[in-house]
Amino acid sequence: MGEHVPPDLLPGTLDLLILKALAANPQHGYGIAQRLRTVSDDVLQVGESSLYPALQRLLLKGWVKAEWGASENNRRARFYTLTAAGRKQLAVERQEFEHLILAIHKVLNAT
Amino acid sequence: MLGLLRRTWHLLRRRRFEADLAEELEFHRAMKQQELEALGADPTEAAFAARRALGSIALAQDHSRDVWRPLWLLEGVWQDVTYAVRDLRRQPGFAAVAVLTLTLGIGANTAIFSVVNTVLLKPLKAPDAARLVRFVTISGTTSSPVTGAQTFEIWRRQTSVFADVAAHRLEFVNLSGGSEPEQVPLARVTTEFFPLFRARLLHGRPFTADEDRPNGGEVAVMSYGLWMRRFGGDPRIVGQAIAIGRVPHVVVGILSADFDTEQFDPRPDLWVPFQIEPERIDGGNLFVVTGRLKPAITIEMANAQLAVAAADYARTVPVRSNRQTSWLVQPLQDAMVGSVRSSLNLLLASVGLVLLIACANVASLLLVRADVRKREMAIRAAIGAARGRIVRQLLTESLVLSLAGGLLGLAAGTIAIRALLSVAAGSNPFSPGGTDFTIPRIGESGAAVGLDWSVLTFSVLVSAVTGIGFGVLPAFHAARTELSLTLKQAGGAASSSFRRNKARALLVVTEIALALMLLVGAALLIRTSLAFRAVRPGFTPDNVLTLRMSVTATPFETRAGITDLTRNSLERIRAVPGVVSASTTCCMPLETVWQLPFVVASRAQSGLTRAGNLAFHAFGGWTFVSPGYFDVFRIPILRGRDFTDGDTAGAPGVVIINQEMARRFWPSSDPLSDRLIIGRGMRPEYDQDPVRQIIGIVGDVRDTGLNRSPRPGMYVPTAQVPDGVTILNVRLLPLVWVVGTAGEPYSLSVPIKNELQRVSGLPVARIRSMGDVVGESTARTRFDMWLMTIFGCSALLLAAVGIYGVMAYSVQQRTKEIGIRLALGADARSVQRMVVFQGMALTLPGVGIGLAAAFGLTRIMASFLFGVTPRDPLVFMSAPLLLSSVAFIAVWLPGRGACRVDPVVALRAE
Repeated sequence: MGEHVPPDLLPGTLDLLILKALAANPQHGYGIAQRLRTVSDDVLQVGESSLYPALQRLLLKGWVKAEWGASENNRRARFYTLTAAGRKQLAVERQEFEHLILAIHKVLNAT
Repeated sequence: MLGLLRRTWHLLRRRRFEADLAEELEFHRAMKQQELEALGADPTEAAFAARRALGSIALAQDHSRDVWRPLWLLEGVWQDVTYAVRDLRRQPGFAAVAVLTLTLGIGANTAIFSVVNTVLLKPLKAPDAARLVRFVTISGTTSSPVTGAQTFEIWRRQTSVFADVAAHRLEFVNLSGGSEPEQVPLARVTTEFFPLFRARLLHGRPFTADEDRPNGGEVAVMSYGLWMRRFGGDPRIVGQAIAIGRVPHVVVGILSADFDTEQFDPRPDLWVPFQIEPERIDGGNLFVVTGRLKPAITIEMANAQLAVAAADYARTVPVRSNRQTSWLVQPLQDAMVGSVRSSLNLLLASVGLVLLIACANVASLLLVRADVRKREMAIRAAIGAARGRIVRQLLTESLVLSLAGGLLGLAAGTIAIRALLSVAAGSNPFSPGGTDFTIPRIGESGAAVGLDWSVLTFSVLVSAVTGIGFGVLPAFHAARTELSLTLKQAGGAASSSFRRNKARALLVVTEIALALMLLVGAALLIRTSLAFRAVRPGFTPDNVLTLRMSVTATPFETRAGITDLTRNSLERIRAVPGVVSASTTCCMPLETVWQLPFVVASRAQSGLTRAGNLAFHAFGGWTFVSPGYFDVFRIPILRGRDFTDGDTAGAPGVVIINQEMARRFWPSSDPLSDRLIIGRGMRPEYDQDPVRQIIGIVGDVRDTGLNRSPRPGMYVPTAQVPDGVTILNVRLLPLVWVVGTAGEPYSLSVPIKNELQRVSGLPVARIRSMGDVVGESTARTRFDMWLMTIFGCSALLLAAVGIYGVMAYSVQQRTKEIGIRLALGADARSVQRMVVFQGMALTLPGVGIGLAAAFGLTRIMASFLFGVTPRDPLVFMSAPLLLSSVAFIAVWLPGRGACRVDPVVALRAE
């Protein structure tokens, strides 16, 4: 069961993906993993050993904040919310990423 | 910056973080299991699969934790530390020598600092103690904290600068009734005393101003200790009467357990209002005055006010004295610490030198080590280690060494100082206003000296500074290695550079110079202690037992009572087997000496000094004794006779003087045909004293201190002392019984004590051999001497180890050279001589510098010395000789190793 981010995922991309997953509404760790998996048609399977450290990293940087709340099945779960700084960061990273993808595209399509 | 804040916040809420993370991950796992079940997996299998993910959960936990940890710190320092420890363990010999050296240095510093901390640095226990001041009277060159009622009244009126002014006096009384009677310390205090020190009472109340007036009633406040010990902590004792002596006192209050002004040794168990009555001799005399400055008033302002008051006083009283008297206040803490400060400063400076030597030693060891590891460092630099990184690695290594030494030193130092204080500290509660003999504030046997945060901080700081201090030089030396050169050199131990050898030589010279200074200091104090031992005090302390008995507020405090008591009891004591002689006195040599003015009757009109009501020729020591006193102490009666039982109140007044008095006041006539008028004009009670015929001359006694020459002294028989004077005396000082014994004095303490209690019904306390009393009088000198000797010997040892290390290494380095010399036919002895010469060439400049420095510095020790000058030739010759001899042995040993070098082996040693 290959439960991990594909190793060739570009560095820093996981943070970007998490920020994006949180952009719509607050979500708990499991929910983030679920969302990334379903949205990517099961391509991005994020394991907890990379997901949770990444969340801590975002907490440390102040891009997300965490609060305890009730999950959909009424269990206590820790919900992560994007902060203002996180939203700004998401925009920045997204732009950079698109920049990068564009560059890669150019290289791949060059004759 | 924000990240740092969040990290700190995280660190503070670590446990919360762990719990959150664990719960979060458990939620994750549960959701996963649910999902698997939903997909149709059988529940056990789903649980199993979810649990299989536990491994990755643990990993998640670890990594999440790591995010918050300051990684740079972990990575660098922790790696350096483990590396340093591993490296040191590879060379246990080096590590042991370095750590032990540092243990000695830091331990000695911790020990002294813990005393300095307790005595000088810790504020007094009273709230806002910085505003507390002690009043002193300066007359000529002497200053005294003891005063009388008249002066106290003036001080008490200076309300513009002082919030409270209180007087106190320590006495000893018997507590009877209930269980076994016991002698307890009692403080007589004025009503301001408790407010002054902001004392809290556990039960009841302090004294009222009315109770502090003459005839204000007999009330007492009790210490927490006595209340628990004797009354089982029963609060109903408040309002009841207890018997102090034979006089019932109503207990009005119990002090809280933490009340301690630290001024009393021993701490009082009972407190009674002073009820100062200036006209009564036993009430208005001899006490110590403390005040609290008003807010915003400085010591200088208070002193200016006191100077004005003194001038006013001088105008109203026609004092015609040849001594100028002035009043001052000084911070209470300073007054209590007194002359110990300079003594502790000396020790602190000395112990600092010991640490410097230890540092030099370890630095020199590290230089050697750096030499040996030059190749290793070069390789590390070659494969890309930055120079800063190497310096950091080496500094970490020295910090590991110094912290290990610091930890051991902290333990060793605190234990050692307690041991030393418990044997060296003395106490003397019988000298009004304190003494110069003891160390204040350290508690009984140094119990108050111990480990606290300041000592801990001090040790850690000293360790850290030390580690960097001795590590910096070797670390930079090592990092400066020229790569290509080192790597090209064959073999492990490349020949060391000239610069590095010079650095080591400099360290050794410094060590030796410092060691010599310490040795000179120690030798001077040893000579002082020997001089104290050699002093002939004028009495024989051997085989004399002394016992104290309070007769205050008993029928024995009158002239008739005390005479009967002493006559009956002495008879019984003398009958105890093993007792040779027995007597009593008001005050013991080296503990208390009273001074009274006297007039020589034959020239009563001429040469008198007048001061107020007093007219006198001079002041002289005054002691009342029972017959047989001079026998007990074996003080020779040079002329005339001893007192007998016939010298009673009704018989003509008699006095015995000492040789010094006879020499000074009757240089050409016969004192035995003269008479003395003693204490006339002091108080009405003294005017009852008869004109006394001089009936004998006894040998001089050093009774105010072994280092002070005898002064004129007078002895009068107990039976002829006026009532009022006796009452005052027994209040201030419990009566002393002195017993000459045939053998070990303490072996008779029980039978003598029993005999005394049977006759008097009063408890006996503070049983001491006279030898111990003499010992206590030199306790501080002995304390200084032992510490300086320990420091001196440590310095000697460290310097020897230092020079041995340098020479041994230099021989090892030059094995090849020596081998060649030997192969070419050099005489083995000449090789050894060469090594010794080179070693001594390092020693002698060190000795020279040390001698010069000591010669300049020992002057500051003058006040600690007795019987020896600060530049004593014997000391200045023997200390260098001792140091040179030890250094010679330290260089001779490696020299011997050198001449045993086998040329064949040496030449092959590549």
